[in-house]
Amino acid sequence: MRDHPVAVLTRHFFWSLFDFGVLSDDGAESLKRVLLGGLALAIAIGLLLARLFMTKYGMLAAAPPKAYLREVVADHAFLMSLAMWVVAAAMALAGQSLFPDETDFRILMAQPLSRAQVFGAKLAALLLFAGLFIAGSQVALVPIGALTLIGAAGAGALLPAAIAYAATSLAASVFAALGIVAIQGLLVLLASRSRLLVIAAAVRSVLIGGLVLALPLVAQLPATARAFAAHAWWLAWTPPAWFAGLERRLLGDATHAGLASQALVAMAAAGAITAVSYVRLYRRFDRVTFQSSGTLSGPEGVPSLAAWGRGAPVRGAVRRFVALAIRRSLLHQSLAVGVLAAAGGLVLNSLLNADGWDRLDANASGALAGTLLWAPMTMMFLAIPGMRLALSIPLELRANWVFRMTEDVNGRAEVADAAGRTVLLWAVALPIALVAPLQWWVLGVGSLAAQPVEAAIGWVLLEWMMADWRRVPFTCSYIPGKGFFPQMCVKAFAVYVVFTVATGLLLRLSIRHPGVAAGAIVILGAAAVILRTRSLRRARQTSLMFEEQVPSDLSPLQLNAD
Amino acid sequence: MLQARGLTKRYGGTLALDRVSFDLQPGEIVGYLGPNGSGKSTTVNLVVGLLEPTAGEVSLLGIRAADDPIGYKRLIGYVPEEPTLYTHLTAGEYLMLVGRLRRLPASTLQKRVAALLRLLQLHDSRYRSMTTFSKGMRQRVLVASALLHDPQLLVLDEPFSGLDVNAGLLLRTLLQLLASQGRMIFFSTHRFDMVEKLCSRVIVLSSGRIVLERSVDAFARDGDDSLEQAFVHATRQPDFAPLAREILDAISGG
Repeated sequence: MRDHPVAVLTRHFFWSLFDFGVLSDDGAESLKRVLLGGLALAIAIGLLLARLFMTKYGMLAAAPPKAYLREVVADHAFLMSLAMWVVAAAMALAGQSLFPDETDFRILMAQPLSRAQVFGAKLAALLLFAGLFIAGSQVALVPIGALTLIGAAGAGALLPAAIAYAATSLAASVFAALGIVAIQGLLVLLASRSRLLVIAAAVRSVLIGGLVLALPLVAQLPATARAFAAHAWWLAWTPPAWFAGLERRLLGDATHAGLASQALVAMAAAGAITAVSYVRLYRRFDRVTFQSSGTLSGPEGVPSLAAWGRGAPVRGAVRRFVALAIRRSLLHQSLAVGVLAAAGGLVLNSLLNADGWDRLDANASGALAGTLLWAPMTMMFLAIPGMRLALSIPLELRANWVFRMTEDVNGRAEVADAAGRTVLLWAVALPIALVAPLQWWVLGVGSLAAQPVEAAIGWVLLEWMMADWRRVPFTCSYIPGKGFFPQMCVKAFAVYVVFTVATGLLLRLSIRHPGVAAGAIVILGAAAVILRTRSLRRARQTSLMFEEQVPSDLSPLQLNAD
Repeated sequence: MLQARGLTKRYGGTLALDRVSFDLQPGEIVGYLGPNGSGKSTTVNLVVGLLEPTAGEVSLLGIRAADDPIGYKRLIGYVPEEPTLYTHLTAGEYLMLVGRLRRLPASTLQKRVAALLRLLQLHDSRYRSMTTFSKGMRQRVLVASALLHDPQLLVLDEPFSGLDVNAGLLLRTLLQLLASQGRMIFFSTHRFDMVEKLCSRVIVLSSGRIVLERSVDAFARDGDDSLEQAFVHATRQPDFAPLAREILDAISGG
């Protein structure tokens, strides 16, 4: 049975859902370290969450049943949203492999395999993959879910409450998986072949960016008990709330019947679109996959070659190369958008929680003003290393010979300059531009002094963080987790605290005293110029790096060893 | 002139190339033959400057690769064995990238890219990313990128691989024309027919050592072994008939 072609193919499809194809053996070994660190962090957060819920439900034990129920509905919406988020994120990351594609067609249809076997194996792999994350997230949340059911146990209705919660939580996760597959299915079937590459990259980036940005909103859900009681309008636009409503409906409570209906309709729609996409692709596999999917939409869709002639030759070429890679590579665009969305999500969360939105004038509360001045600093602090990481992930590693053949002394400095300018645009200019309108609105015209200071701070931070950059973006092998993960986190957090406190103080002073702003701009600008000059001089003297080395003080974990 | 002297390359304890020496004169086309694993690709990588030799040296027009690797590489056009290029780009974008990295003036480069795309029949595919290109199309892009800066030495690793008959004939004619203008051409291949039709000299490598170096004309003039026979003899290849029979037995057996 294990050697049956469909079983072999299913295993192949299943593992390919985890394959990003960018890591060397050393890199894969190193990635295990990072994943283990991430897992440890998730467990720590989970324990903290359980502790919080234990305290909360200990206090709620004495509350009236109505108040208790209101909290349960909101908390169940929160728990379901966590599971939905995990499943949706996994499916979005594997987005390019959810349907059989042209490579599958070219390779597998040449083998003695039927179309039904290929599609069957793909579906089986997809079910296994989705099932793994659905089951994992459900099991992980069982302890917290059980805590919320203490009250039901007291009322002697534990079993029906537990069944209703488990069923709707599972349905919510299945909906998250189906939703992502349905979006991909619509894309495969409806997007014009000529734009498929660009649209697929954009959709995946929007999905990942949206999911990351949704995290602060997920974190707000436990505090929405009153909104559920008041039937707030926005609950109709919040998928986890639909399933919390469905749970109540299953228990015979029609208070949120509207939300329950929405959950059922949404499930049916996502399931139908997924099924239709698969069936239609199955019937038209050859036609759908064999049309040219690499056309970049004709003259209007392809930037003129003249754009390559702008600026210094190597710097211009590298910047253009980077821009096109981010535009057309699914992985790199997702990374760039994901990094920026993570930074934006953190800021969004703080802004949502800041007091003072009811008084938007020059006397806006200190907390809100502080948050608005802190926001671009935090975004830059996260986005600069994030973009650096995105530029480090290789693309077609074996094609880097062309950069190795054409490397020259001035070119090395131009390469460093190109990478710096790219990060400056995405991780410094963009955060400032995103937050500036809000600062003007809340803090008034006085905040105009803040943006040039923010830009100068961002520039210095960029020069400091990119000082040792010695590679053409996307052309060097990448090994994640070269340092000791917890130690790196602690160090980064300490630097972050010092950085945001110091820059927050400087920005407040700059708004109040224009002289301070002018002085800060001059001093920071000079520091940035000195750092840049030194960095470019060093870049000229050092060869470009095309292979990253594992630090010698790390030994492989050898998790696969017998 | 290209001069390789005592080129030796070790990978750990493995000796991939052992004291290989040869010259290449302007206007000469040299074919580099050898069985798989004989060290051909290692030689090519050393000649183009992508690898540094463990011992020995290589120089081109008086520039030693070890002393001035940048100046040395500037004189070379290279077509690698595998058509590895940045497939998220279109052919035109890739050529512009390579040309700008080689610091060609933008206006000159644009004209050359347009001409090469047209002449190498890539013009109709100019709006397609190279993800959908066939091996032959990618090979044509690599040939174009190697020619962009009008190099003194062309190093080609299996340049005819994947090319259709017309493109193959065009490349052959082009290489002859380039040689007639004084360019040096060094190409590694498995194809005897191409070596016989194109090259003035052949070098045969086996187990990291040169085992035969001879003018192609000499094979016809002397009337003894054909190039193929000489290759089999020099590289001590086994008798293939029993081997073929064994393979047949293996696939038809239980």
